[in-house]
Amino acid sequence: MRFEELESAAKAIVARYEHKRAAMLPVLRLVQERFGCVSAEAEAWVGKLLQVAPSHVHEVVTFYTLYHQQPVGTYHIQLCHNIACALRGAEGCLAAISERLGIAPGETTPDGRYTLSTVECLCACEVAPVMQVNDRYVGPVTPEVIEALLRDPDKLPALPFAFQGAPGLTESVLSKRFGVQDSASIETYLRDGGYQAARKALTTMTLEQVIAEVAKSNLRGLGGAGFPTGKKWSFIPPPAASPSATARSADRAVPHSGTTAGGGIIPKDASKPHFLVVNADEGEPGTIKDRYLITKDPHLLLEGMLIASYATGAHKAYIYIRGEYAEPTVILQRAVDEARARGMLGQKIFGSSHHLEVVVHRGAGAYICGEETALLESLEGKKGFPRLKPPFPAIAGLFASPTVINNVETLACVPAIIQKGGEWFAKLGYGKSGGTRLFSVSGHVRKPGLYEASHGITLRELLDAAGGVPEGRRLKAVIPGGISAKILTADEIGVRMDFEALLAAGTMAGSAGVVAMDDSTCMVRALWYAAKFFAHESCGQCSPCREGTGWIFKIVDRIMRGEGRPQDLDVLLGAATSMEGRTICVFADAAAWPVQSYITKFRSEFEHHIREQRCDIPGAAPVAPLAAAHA
Amino acid sequence: MPEPKQITLTIDGKSVAVPEGTTVLQACEKAASPVPFYCYHPGLSIAGNCRICLVEIEGMPKLQISCYTRAAEGMKVHTTSDKTLDGRKDVLEFLLINHPLDCPVCDQAGECWLQDYYMEHGLYDQRFNETKVKKPKAVPIGKTVMLDAERCILCSRCVRFTDEVTKTGELGIFNRGDHSEIGIQPGQTLDRNNYAGNVVDICPVGALTDRDFRFKCRVWYLGSTPSVCPGCSRGCNIELHHNREREWRPHIAKGERVMRLKPRYNADVNQWWMCDEGRYGYHFIDERRLSHVQVREGRGLRQGTWEEGYARLQEVLGRLKAAQALDQAGVILSSHLTNEDLYAAKRVFGALGLTRVVFQRPTPGRHDDFLLQADKSPNARGAAALGIAEGAEGLIALAEQQKLKALLVFTQDLVELFGGTRIQAAANRLELLAFVGANENPTAALAHLVLPGAVYAEKDGTFTNVDGRVQRIRAALGQWGEAKPEWQILSELAAALGLKTAFTDAPSIFVELAKSERPFQGLSYQMLGNHGALLKDGSGLGVGGSGQRPRTPNPEP
Repeated sequence: MRFEELESAAKAIVARYEHKRAAMLPVLRLVQERFGCVSAEAEAWVGKLLQVAPSHVHEVVTFYTLYHQQPVGTYHIQLCHNIACALRGAEGCLAAISERLGIAPGETTPDGRYTLSTVECLCACEVAPVMQVNDRYVGPVTPEVIEALLRDPDKLPALPFAFQGAPGLTESVLSKRFGVQDSASIETYLRDGGYQAARKALTTMTLEQVIAEVAKSNLRGLGGAGFPTGKKWSFIPPPAASPSATARSADRAVPHSGTTAGGGIIPKDASKPHFLVVNADEGEPGTIKDRYLITKDPHLLLEGMLIASYATGAHKAYIYIRGEYAEPTVILQRAVDEARARGMLGQKIFGSSHHLEVVVHRGAGAYICGEETALLESLEGKKGFPRLKPPFPAIAGLFASPTVINNVETLACVPAIIQKGGEWFAKLGYGKSGGTRLFSVSGHVRKPGLYEASHGITLRELLDAAGGVPEGRRLKAVIPGGISAKILTADEIGVRMDFEALLAAGTMAGSAGVVAMDDSTCMVRALWYAAKFFAHESCGQCSPCREGTGWIFKIVDRIMRGEGRPQDLDVLLGAATSMEGRTICVFADAAAWPVQSYITKFRSEFEHHIREQRCDIPGAAPVAPLAAAHA
Repeated sequence: MPEPKQITLTIDGKSVAVPEGTTVLQACEKAASPVPFYCYHPGLSIAGNCRICLVEIEGMPKLQISCYTRAAEGMKVHTTSDKTLDGRKDVLEFLLINHPLDCPVCDQAGECWLQDYYMEHGLYDQRFNETKVKKPKAVPIGKTVMLDAERCILCSRCVRFTDEVTKTGELGIFNRGDHSEIGIQPGQTLDRNNYAGNVVDICPVGALTDRDFRFKCRVWYLGSTPSVCPGCSRGCNIELHHNREREWRPHIAKGERVMRLKPRYNADVNQWWMCDEGRYGYHFIDERRLSHVQVREGRGLRQGTWEEGYARLQEVLGRLKAAQALDQAGVILSSHLTNEDLYAAKRVFGALGLTRVVFQRPTPGRHDDFLLQADKSPNARGAAALGIAEGAEGLIALAEQQKLKALLVFTQDLVELFGGTRIQAAANRLELLAFVGANENPTAALAHLVLPGAVYAEKDGTFTNVDGRVQRIRAALGQWGEAKPEWQILSELAAALGLKTAFTDAPSIFVELAKSERPFQGLSYQMLGNHGALLKDGSGLGVGGSGQRPRTPNPEP
C-alpha cells in the first residue's frame, strides 16, 4: 500500500494538535477510509509518523470498534443490539437481514457487498430498531427499509425528527430552535439572537462574574454525574495564579501508565495552557440528546463553549464526538467553520482579548471514552483507559494541563444563563438542579423521542407525555437514567427526575435516558442486554471489571439459554458486589447496578427461568447466539 | 536538598513515620504490615490496575489502592480488616476465573505470585463455573521469551518496562475487556532488545517465561547464591540459580549446574535489571571446561598432575631466577580474575622478582547507554587499582623477538586478541607457554602446560566495577574436576618455587590486600555487604568510569 499519498493529509491533521500522538484516531481513520482497513503495515506507518511504537498503534486499532484489521463489505450494516432497540424488535430485524443476505452477524456476503454486524447502542433509541449503514444512521428498521437496503443501499430513508415537546414548560431552553428551518446555520442562529450571550460575557463581564452567574444557576453536569458546573470551572487555576497552582499539584501527581507510554507528554514548564474539552461521546444506552443538540443547534453549543472557555482561560477547545456520529460531525464542523469565518472563533472575539480555536475530534467506538479521563487518554491518541486520580483534570488534564470537561447539553445551557441570569435558570429547575434538561424516552412508549422538561418532572408525567405504554399493555419497569441506572418498577414512577430524588429512590438521574418496559418484557432478557453491553465495553484495565463483566454475562447468558443453576443468582449478586467500588472508574459500579436491581426487584422471574429452564413471557423472543453477540 | 517532611500514620494500630510523598504501600512495608501487589513495581510507573493492594483507610468509604494513595498525617490504615481481606480475596478470584490453572505444566510454578497469594489471601471456594476465555499459548516472542496470554493477569509490568526502561515499546495490551491480551506487534520480536529477559523477571505469573530456562528444572530444586555478573565491567548484581540437588537429579539439563542468572537489586549499579548478554552468558560455567593439568607431548596435550605442572614452572622460572634472567619471563594476568587472585599474583611474582607482569582485557564488544559496557571483563578497574600495568602486546612482541623464554597466561585468549599466527609464532619461540584458565580456548590449545582454573561461580572474591565499586562474589559451586581457584594455584606455585608467600583463602587475602593496597584501604567483606563499596580513591586510575548512572524511571521517594 502507498501510504505516502496520505502524508500531506496526515500532516495537516497532526498540525491541529499540541502533541503528535493526539492525531492517532483521525490519522487511523484517514488510513482506513483510503485502504478499507488498518493493516499491520499501516500501523507501522502511523507509528513512524506520530512517533509512537507500532505496538501502541496496534493497541489503539484493537481497542476501538470502528477500526478494521480486515476489509469489510462495500456496505457495512451495523445493527444496534442493545436494550432500547431490542425492546422494539431488533432481534427480528437481525434475523430478517441475516436470512435475506444469507450471512450471520460478523460475516460478509460472498460478493463482498454487505457485511453484517451487531453493535452496542448507537444512541438513536427514538428510532429503534436502528442500524448504521456505513456512516449513515437508518431507523426504524422496517420490512420496507430492509427491502430498500437490499435494493439500493444508497437510497435509504432519512432519519425522522423525533423531538416530541416540552411537557410542563412554558418556555424551553435547549430545544427552542429544534423546529426552526435550517436551525443549524449561523444565519438563523444570529437572526434568533445567537451569540449575544457570548458577546455579553466577553465584553461586559469578568471571568469571576461568569463563574458566579453559572454557580448561581445551579447548572449541573448533564452528562450524568450532576456535578455543579460553576464549581467545576472554579477548580481551574486562574490564569495569573496558574504557575504556582500547577506546581503545587505536580507534587501530588504520580506518573501513570497513560502519560508515560507516549514518552514526554507532560510539559515540564509550569505555564501550561488551559483546555476546554467537550464531552460529545454520547454512548449511554437510551440517550439521544447530544445528537439532537449537535445536529439541530450546533451554534448553541459553540456559544456555550465560547463562554466556558472565557471563564476558564482556555484558548483551545476540543469537541470529542463519538465516532459513529458521522453526520453530526459534518454539521458540527460546518458550524465551527462558519463561526470562525464570522469571527466568533479565532482572535479578538467581539473585540475582546479572548481568543479560541476549536477542533472537532471524532472518537472511534468505545463507550468508556465517555468517562472524562478515558476521553482525555483517547484524545491523546491512546486506548480509553480511565486515569488514576488525583490529579484531576482541572489540574492535570489534557496534555497534563488544566482542563475543564463539560457535556454538550451542559454547555448548551450556558448562553441562556448569561442572557437571562442564574436565578432565572435556577427557578426553572427543581431543588439543587437548575434549569431544564433533555429526556430521551425510548422502549415501550407510544411516542418515543426527545423531551425537554424541568428536573422536577416526575417519571410518570414524562411517560404520560410519551403516550404511555402501547395499547393493551401494562408498564413493568423503567430505566430512568441510561442503562447504568438501577431499574425502577411500575409502582416507583412517582419519583421526580432530579438528581437528589432519583438518588433517594436508589437509582440515578444519569444521562436522563429513560427506557420503558411493558409487561411483554422478560427481565432476564433485559439483564442479558445490559450484561452483554458492559462485558463488551469494559476497557479491561482493572481486574475486577475486566473479569467480572465477562463472568456476569456468561452466567446470564446461560440462564437465558435455559441452563441456569440454582446458585446462579447468588453468584451473580456476589460477583456484582465484589467488583463494585474496587476499580479506577465507576464503570464496574455501573455494570453491577443492573445485576443487583433487576435480580432484587424481579427475583421470582429469574428463579422461574432457572427452575423451568425457559421464558414464559409471551412474545419474548430468544436472543441471538452468544458467539455472534459477543464477538 | 532539604530533608522531606516526616509524617506519621497508623497502620494496623502501629504508628509509623515516613517521609512525605511515601505511598501507603511503602508505609505498610515499613510498618511490617506488607500488602500484596502485582502491578506495582518500584522501578516502573504506577498503573494501579491489579487492585490486589486495596486497603481500608478510615474516613474513606471505598477501599483504596495502597500503591497509589499517598500516606497522610494521621491516616489510619487497616491491612488485615475484614473489609480489606474480602477485597483482596475478591480481586484474586477475579484474576483467577479466566486463568487456565495449568500449574503442573507451568514453568512458573513454585515462584508464581498467583499461587503464593492464593495460599495467603485466597483459599475461597471457586464460584466460577463457565467456559474460560481462550487466548494464545506458548507463543515465542523472542529468542528467550515465551508468552502464554491465558496465564497473564494484564498487570502491564512488561509493557511499562519496554516503554519506560528500554523505551523500545515492543509490547502492548491488545483488544479490551476480558479479551485483552499482552502481545507484540505482528511480525515483531524482542530480539533487538538486549534487556528482554527482564520482562520474565518482572512477570509475576507464568505469562512470560524464559525459553533458556523453561522445563530445565523445577524452581524448588534451585539453590541461590548472590554474585556479580562477570560479563562486562558494569558488574550487575545477580543471583546464581543452581541445581541444588544435582546428585539426585543428574538428568536435569544434562547435569549442568547453573540453571539461570537473575538480577539482584543494587540502586547504584543495575537497579532491578540486567542485560541479556550477561544473563544468558553463563553457559561457560559448565561447558568447555579444563578439568585436568595438561602437558604438551609432541603435537598434543596429555593429562598430567598438579605436581608435574608446578615442577615444570619451577624448573623454568627457577633456572631464569638463578641466571638472574627473570626479565625473560612474563606474566599476563586477566581482568577476569578477582582482586584476590590478582593480589596473590602480584605478591607471588613480586617475591620471586618477576617484574614483567601485566593484565589484559578481552576484546571490547558492544555497549549501550544503559548498563552494557564495552569492556567485557568485570575487574579491569580492580587490576588497575592494584597497580598492575595493562596490555599484553609488549610481552608478545618480546616473545616474537625471542627475548622471552617463559610466558604465563591467565584466562585470556591471546589468539582471539592478537591472531593465531602471532601467538603460534610466539609459542614456538618460547621455552614455556603456560596457560591457567577455566575454559578451553585456542591459546590453551597452543600452550605447553595447561593448569585448570576456577570460574567466578566457584570462588570467593571481589570484582571492582567500572565505577570503582568493589563487590563480592561467592562460591556457589564446588570445584570442577581438578580445577582450583587462581589464588590457590599461585599460592601452591609459590611453595614450589620455595617462596614464603602463602595464602589460605580469599577472605584472608582481602584482609591483607585492604591493608597494603591504598585504594582498597578501609574495605572489608563485611563492609562490602551485598551491594559493595567504592574504592577509596575512585578517580585518576587511568581506567575511566562509565560516566553514567542507571536511569531511574520512578525513583522511590
